[in-house]
Amino acid sequence: MQRQSAARLGPLLLLLLLPLAWGKGPSPPRAAEELQVSNRLAGQAARVALHYLNYRLGSPSALRALGQVRKATLKTIPGIGHKYYLQFTTEDYKSSLNVGTCLATVFYLKRKPRPAVNINCTYTKDQKQIREDDYSFYKKMRQQTKPIIGNDIPDSYGNIEPALEPAWALAVAGSSYLMWEKSTENLGYFMAQVKNVKQWITKDDSIDFDYSVVLHEIPTQEMISCHLRVIWTPGHPLKVKYFCLSENQWSESEEGSGTESGSTNGIFNEKEAHF
Amino acid sequence: RLGIIFAIHHLIPLSIAGVWPFLCSYVLCQLDFWRGPGGQDVPIDVQVPFASLQAVKIFLESNCIRYSILIDDLQVSSLVDEEQTQMIRQHFMPRSVETFNYASYHTLDEIYDFMDLLVAANPNLVSKIQIGNSYEGRPIYVLKFSTGGTKRPAIWLDTGIHSREWITQASGVWFAKKIVDSYGKDPSLTSILDNLDIFLEIVTNPDGFAFTHTTNRMWRKTKSVNAGSACIGVDPNRNWDAGFGGDGASSNPCSETYHGPYANSEREVKAIVDFVKSHGNIKAFISIHSYTQLLLYPYGYTSTRAADYQELDNIAKAAVAALSSLYGTQYRYGSIITTIYQANGGTIDWTYNQGIKYSFTFELRDTGRYGFLLPANQIIPTAKETWLALMTIMEYTRDHPY
Repeated sequence: MQRQSAARLGPLLLLLLLPLAWGKGPSPPRAAEELQVSNRLAGQAARVALHYLNYRLGSPSALRALGQVRKATLKTIPGIGHKYYLQFTTEDYKSSLNVGTCLATVFYLKRKPRPAVNINCTYTKDQKQIREDDYSFYKKMRQQTKPIIGNDIPDSYGNIEPALEPAWALAVAGSSYLMWEKSTENLGYFMAQVKNVKQWITKDDSIDFDYSVVLHEIPTQEMISCHLRVIWTPGHPLKVKYFCLSENQWSESEEGSGTESGSTNGIFNEKEAHF
Repeated sequence: RLGIIFAIHHLIPLSIAGVWPFLCSYVLCQLDFWRGPGGQDVPIDVQVPFASLQAVKIFLESNCIRYSILIDDLQVSSLVDEEQTQMIRQHFMPRSVETFNYASYHTLDEIYDFMDLLVAANPNLVSKIQIGNSYEGRPIYVLKFSTGGTKRPAIWLDTGIHSREWITQASGVWFAKKIVDSYGKDPSLTSILDNLDIFLEIVTNPDGFAFTHTTNRMWRKTKSVNAGSACIGVDPNRNWDAGFGGDGASSNPCSETYHGPYANSEREVKAIVDFVKSHGNIKAFISIHSYTQLLLYPYGYTSTRAADYQELDNIAKAAVAALSSLYGTQYRYGSIITTIYQANGGTIDWTYNQGIKYSFTFELRDTGRYGFLLPANQIIPTAKETWLALMTIMEYTRDHPY
C-alpha cells in the first residue's frame, strides 16, 4: 500500500519540484508589472540596491547616489515576496557627476529580515583615482597620533569641515550596511547626520571609527539614532557593527565576501535578457 | 511728538556691545534704532524721545561720541504722519533688503525683520497680514503682494510648515524679494500681479522653526502639548480635514506624523484654513517642503485619481521641465500617493477638495546627500530653479481662470 502511494507521489513530487529546480517559485504564474519610473517603490528599491553596493564596495571614494530610474519591473511571487528589476543611473556621491548605470534586482522576501540584492554597474570614474584617494585617506588616518573627533557633520547649515569629509564618507559607507539591513519594501532610509565621530587608534592595519549617526526613515519621518563601529582596510570588506536605539542588541556584518543575500560585479557585462 | 532723530557716528572704537546696554540702562530703552547698529564706522540713527533728550546728549558728549541731529521734531498725529514715518524709515533704511544675505540661513527674528523691511521698501505692493498666533503665541504672518482690486483671484505659497526643512523658509525669503524685483520688469510676473494677488507665508510653523535654531535642528512638528503624553507636537501636514486620521498618519503623539486630536487642532493650520475660507477666491495653492525633489498633486489620502488629474499632471510636467532648464536638476512628479507615500490629512488634499484646483506640493533639494542640512550655497540656486516652476504654475493659473 505504502509503496503504491509512494510511486504515485513520486511523479507528482517531481512535477512540483521542477519549477523550484529552475529557480522559479511554485505556480500559479507570477504577475509581472512594469512600473512608472517615478514610482516611489521603484526609487526606494533602487536606493536599497545602492546601499548594498556602497557597503560591499567599502570605499569612501567610490560611493554612489541614485541618479534616475530608467526602467522598473515588479514581479510578485506569491507566498515568497516581491522582486524588483531595476535599471538606474548613478552619481558620484561627492561631485554628483554621472558615474554609470546599474542593473539590479532587489528581492523583498517575506521570511528573510533583509532584502536580497544583485547589482551590476558600469563605472565611468577612474578606478586608479579611487584607489589613490582611498589610500590617501587611509594613510592619513593611520598616521594620526591623536584620534580624529568631530560633531554634527554636516552642521545645521550643511557645512562639512574638509578635514572631516573622508570620515563622513566612511560613515556613509558604514551606514549603507545598516540601511540595507533595515530597509523593507515600504521603509527606506537616508543618513541624515553624523552626530559624533571618534577614531580608535589601533596597532593593526585597519582604521577604526566609532560613529553616532542619525537616520531619516521614510515614510514614518522618524529620526533614528544609531551607533556604528566601522573597521576598514582599503581593498577589504568593510566591517560594521551597529546598534540602533530602537533595537536591543548589536548587529554585525559578516566577514568575507559574497553572502547569500546578494552579489555584485564590478563591471556590467550581462544582456538585458530579463527585462 | 515723537522726538528727535540722532545720527550717531562712532569716533572711538567702542564695541556695540559696550555702548548700547549702557545707553539702554541710561534712558530706559526708549530708543528706537532706525538704522544699525552696524560696524564701527557705520552711523547709527536713533530716535530719541524728548524726555530722554538731555540724558542722551550728556551721555554722548561725555563719551566723545559725535552725533548730528537729522530730524529735530518728528510730528505724530494721524495716518498722514504714519505714512510720513514710513517714508522716513524708508529713507533711512534704503539698503536693508538689498544688503540682506539671501545666501544664508536666518533666524525667525531675522526673517520677521526682513518682512518689515520689505513692506517698508515697497508699501504700494506688499503688506503684512497677521493670520493668527502659533501655539506658543508667536504671530503668524503672511505677505500680500497686490496691485489693487478687491479680493482678486489669488495664488497662495507657503514655506516652512515643517520646521526642519530650512531650504524652504530660505527660498520663501528669496521669492518675496524676487516678486518685488520682478514687478514692472518681468512682463509675465507683472501681468500675473496685475490680475491676481499673491499670498506668501514664509514661516508657517514659527514655534518649530525657533526650536530648530535653539534646541533640535531636526524638529518637524508644531510645539503643541498633547494631553496625556510626554511627547510634544503635531504634524501640521497631517492635521487637515482631508482623509483625516487614516493610515497615512499616526495616532501616536510621539510620532513624527501624529495627526493631532482632531482636524485643524493646530493653530498654525486653523489660521490658514480660516484665511482660505474667508478669502474665498484662491485659485492656486502651493505648499513647499523638502527634500527628495518632487512636484506633487492630490491625492495623498486615497489612490482614487483626482478629477483634474490629467490637467494637474500636464502642469506638473511643464513646471518640472522649467525647473530643470536652469541647472539640470531632476525632479519626479505625480500624485502624492504614487510618488512619495500615502499621507492622510495633508494640506493640498484639503485645498483641492475646497475647490482650489491648482493645488501642488514641492519637495525641494536634495535627493538625500545632505537632506535637511542643505548647504547654504545651494539656497539661491534652489530658489531660482524653483521659481521657474512656480512661474509656470502661476502663469497657467492666470491664463486658465475658473
